[in-house]
Amino acid sequence: MIEVQSLTKRFGTQAAVADVTFSVRQGEIVGFLGPNGAGKTTTMRVLTGFLPPSEGTARVAGHDIVSDSRRARASLGYLPESAALYPEMRVREYLAYRARLEGLAGQEVGSRVEEIVGLCLLEEVADRKVENLSRGYRQRAALAGSLVHQPPVLILDEPTVGLDPAQIIKIREMIRSLGRERAVLLSTHILPEVDAVCDRVLIIDRGRIVAEGTPEELRRRLTGTPIVRAAFKGEVAAQEALGSLQGVVSAQVSPADGETRIRIECAEGAEVAEDIFRLAVSKGWVLRELSRESLSLEDVFVRLTHHEEASPSAQATAGQPPVETPSGETSAVASAKAEP
Amino acid sequence: MRRFLAIVAREWRAYFFSPLAYVIVAAFLVMNGQIFWAIVNFLNSPNAPKGQALPLLFTNYYFWIFNLFVVPIIAMRLFAEERKSGTIEILLTSPVTETEVVLGKFAGALGFFLTLWAPTLIYVWILRSQIPIDLGPVGAGYLGIVLLGGYFLSVGTFASTLTKNQIVAAILAFGMLIAIFSTGLLESMITDPGKHDLLGYFNLWDHMEEFARGIVDTRRLVYYLSATAFFLFLSVISVTARKERP
Repeated sequence: MIEVQSLTKRFGTQAAVADVTFSVRQGEIVGFLGPNGAGKTTTMRVLTGFLPPSEGTARVAGHDIVSDSRRARASLGYLPESAALYPEMRVREYLAYRARLEGLAGQEVGSRVEEIVGLCLLEEVADRKVENLSRGYRQRAALAGSLVHQPPVLILDEPTVGLDPAQIIKIREMIRSLGRERAVLLSTHILPEVDAVCDRVLIIDRGRIVAEGTPEELRRRLTGTPIVRAAFKGEVAAQEALGSLQGVVSAQVSPADGETRIRIECAEGAEVAEDIFRLAVSKGWVLRELSRESLSLEDVFVRLTHHEEASPSAQATAGQPPVETPSGETSAVASAKAEP
Repeated sequence: MRRFLAIVAREWRAYFFSPLAYVIVAAFLVMNGQIFWAIVNFLNSPNAPKGQALPLLFTNYYFWIFNLFVVPIIAMRLFAEERKSGTIEILLTSPVTETEVVLGKFAGALGFFLTLWAPTLIYVWILRSQIPIDLGPVGAGYLGIVLLGGYFLSVGTFASTLTKNQIVAAILAFGMLIAIFSTGLLESMITDPGKHDLLGYFNLWDHMEEFARGIVDTRRLVYYLSATAFFLFLSVISVTARKERP
C-alpha cells in the first residue's frame, strides 16, 4: 500500500532523507524508529504530499505521490507530529470539517462523524471545544480526524507523544485494531512502542535506513549467538556435563559464594535451556536461575544509531549518553525516553 | 467545489470565535454610526442637496482609514495562523488543491468583510423612509465596496502566505496597500496629462466617488478584478513554493 523507492529529500545541500526504500503492505503496522532529526517526519511529509521529494518515487495505494498527488492524499490519513487542531472548533465540527475536506457530503458527513466519535471514544467530549480538551483527548481527536474518511493507508507521526501511560495503552490498542485492515506507518522514538504495536521495524538514522525486520529479527541479528545463563546451588561439576549437551558452543563456569554461575553460548536456534533443566534434574542439582540473555530493542537501537563522540543525533537519542545495557526487560531508560 | 465551500465556511466562522473580530465589528459600527450621524446632520441643513447624502457613506476619510488598517488585520490570520499552529499540514495534505485553499480562505475573509458592511443597509432603509433615494448609486456604491474589499483582501491574503507571524503579515499588507493607495493619490500632483491619466487608473479614492455617484466604469471593474486575481495567483504560487521548506 505504501511503496517507497530510493526516496531522497534535500534541504539545500543537506539530505534529510537519503535513498530510502521500503514498503508497507495492507494489514501491516510498520514502525519507523529513529532518533530525533533522523528523517522520520521528513519522510512522512514527503509521503503525504506536504513536501515534494528531491529524488526517487513513492506510491500510496497505487497512486504516485507527485503525478497523482491528489488521489494519493485522498487514500491516506495523516496524523502530523504536532497533532494540530483548530482550537476554536468543537470536536464534532472539526471532524465534520475534515470529512468535507475529504470530499464527503450531506448525510454521509454526519454518519461518518458519529461512527468515528464512537470508534475513538470521544462521545464525552464531542461537543466540547478543542482548546478545552486534555492532551489525551486532543491526540485522539486529531487521530479521529485522520480516520474520518476511512483511508486504507495511515501515516502517524509520533501518535503517543505527550500522553500518560493509560492513554498510551488506549491509543496503541486503537492503532493495533486499525492496522488489521490497513497499512499503517507510524514513527516513534519510544522503543517499547515498537515492540508493543509493530509487525515490522525500520530503523532510520541520519536519513538512511540502517536496519529492517521484525523486532525479534533485529534483536537476534544483533545479539549474534544466543546466551543462556544458569546458576546452581553449591559447587557442581558442570563443565563436562554441559559440554556434552547438543547446541552448546562454549560454557563459562564461575563459582561464586555458594553458587555455580554458568554462561553458555549456544548455537543459533538451539533450545539449550530445556536440556539444562533436564540435566539438573537427572544430576540432582538445585537450579536457582535459568534465563536467556537477549538484547532489548533498545540495545539494538543504540548499537545501530550510536555514533562515535557526541554527534548531534546520538545525543538526541535520549538526551543522555547512550548506554549499552544488555537486558531482557524494558529498562528504566526506556520509560525515561517515553517523556517527550 | 464541496471542499472549497467547506474551507469558506470554516474561515468565515473562525472570525466569530476570535475576540479580534468583535473589536473590528465594534470599531466599524462606531465609525459608521459617526458617519450616519454626519449624514443626518447634512440633511438637517434646509437647502442640502438630498441626493448627495448617502454617497457620504463611501466617500469619507474614515472609510479609507478603516479599509487600509482593518483589511490587513482581517486577512493576517488566513495562512500565518495555520502555519504557526501546524494545521496547515492537515489542510495541505487533504485532497484539496492550493488554489482551492487560497480561494476558500479569501472568500471566507471577504464574507466576513461583507458581514461587517451588511448592517449599514439599515441606514439606507432608514434614510429611504425619510427622503427619496435613488437605489442605483447605492447599489453601485456597494459594488465598489465588494470590489475594493476583494482587492485589499487579496493583497492581505498574499501577505499572510509569506510569514508565520500574523503581525508581520498585517504590517506587510498595510505597507503594500499604502503603496497602492498613494500611487493613485499622486494623480492630483502631476500636471503632465499622460502620466495624470495613467495614475488616474490607480486612483482608488476617485473610483469610490465614481461608484458612489452611480457610475460603474468597465475600466474600474477590469482593474479591480484583475488586480485581485493577480494577488490571489501570487498567493497560490507562494503557498506552493513554501511547501519546499519545512
